[in-house]
Amino acid sequence: MVFSEVPSSNTIRVQKIKEFLEKEDLEISEDIETFVIAKEDDAIVACGGLSGKVLKNIAIDESIRGEGVALSLMSELLKIAYSLGRDELFLFTKPMYEDVFESCGFKYIEQANQQVILMENRYNIDAYKKRLRKLRQSGDVIGSIVMNANPFTLGHRHLVEQACLRSHWVHLFVVKEDASFFSFEDRYRLICEGLADLKNLTIHEGSDYIISKATFPTYFIKDKRCIDSLYTELDLNIFRNHLAPELGVTHRFVGEEPLCVVTNEYNMQMKKILAKPSAFPPIEVIELPRIEYNHEPISASRVRKLMKEGRLEEISHLVPSSTYRLIETMLSTTSH
Amino acid sequence: MSKILEPAHAGTLESSDVFVRVVPSEQNGIEIELESSVSEIYGEAIELLIKETAEAMNIRNIRILVQDKGALDYVIKARVQTAILRAQGTVSPDWSVLS
Repeated sequence: MVFSEVPSSNTIRVQKIKEFLEKEDLEISEDIETFVIAKEDDAIVACGGLSGKVLKNIAIDESIRGEGVALSLMSELLKIAYSLGRDELFLFTKPMYEDVFESCGFKYIEQANQQVILMENRYNIDAYKKRLRKLRQSGDVIGSIVMNANPFTLGHRHLVEQACLRSHWVHLFVVKEDASFFSFEDRYRLICEGLADLKNLTIHEGSDYIISKATFPTYFIKDKRCIDSLYTELDLNIFRNHLAPELGVTHRFVGEEPLCVVTNEYNMQMKKILAKPSAFPPIEVIELPRIEYNHEPISASRVRKLMKEGRLEEISHLVPSSTYRLIETMLSTTSH
Repeated sequence: MSKILEPAHAGTLESSDVFVRVVPSEQNGIEIELESSVSEIYGEAIELLIKETAEAMNIRNIRILVQDKGALDYVIKARVQTAILRAQGTVSPDWSVLS
């Protein structure tokens, strides 16, 4: 058996991998950088992909299972990941293969709909949970919000304000993945500046465990209108079963979502999953109406659109002053 | 005292082999994280072997992450030595200390 590396830019060979995965009942991920394949008599018999720090699309042909090919394949995949300096890895697979990957040093984190499981090789989630626990606040109503804020608008501000009014304490998580138009650093800073006056609020830097490429890869392929309810569920199960219990979260606040399909789907599923019977107490989802300017809801996507059109004056009605200053600088540097 | 400069690895996850990863560390001495299919019987002996192998190469601070699939002693020793040499970027090792 011969192992080889296939960069995702090699469209001819990737097409072959796609066909192999389909045979194994797996859909090829669009964000994979490198595949490792094993060939026997010129046919693909095993493959696996690396996307950032996530291993996925791992499949082995039925005819050669039980020969330890999984371990050879994983050795190859790990070598590539480690030599790229990625030590802390995640892995997606089907629940039935948990044992195989456990013997490669991966540990189970969470599942979704008995169809997919997420595993991790360092089990940093325990350390993360411990850190969260220290930030616990007392109160009957402990609210939570997760936002990307790309960029932070008066709409976001309104949502957090309302949540703070209705809760004893609010935990706000900022999506950490740097996959948006505004960098994490800018998004985080604008949120902190725009909410500095709220007293019963903790702003958390997000993590790999809350809307990240590990928990929710399809969130970051928005423009494809590609919604995968499986990953939505995975992300929400991690929130419900791992993060929320550490902070004693009782409510989650979201903005009504008339414009963005991905977020709307996410909100609907959130209501269902966070209230489902489980070992942990249910979390109530509160959907708050959006505030409007000129009869149109204020949203980050509207601000980005206005930026493209260079309509700075209009933007000033949609965002707080700190966000406005950054956009002003961005637009003046690009126009020179 | 020798230093580990960058993370490195050696070996495979296949049966009778061992996958060794070494990571630089400023203090804390020699830290070993071992997962082995035979850890109940040989766990302590394997950890001791890994520690002695690192010490013989004059390493004082290092994290060694080991995924063992029932490798024999000389395999474990060779894999640990190789990972350390790679981490040091050594091209021509002093063979006398690697015996």
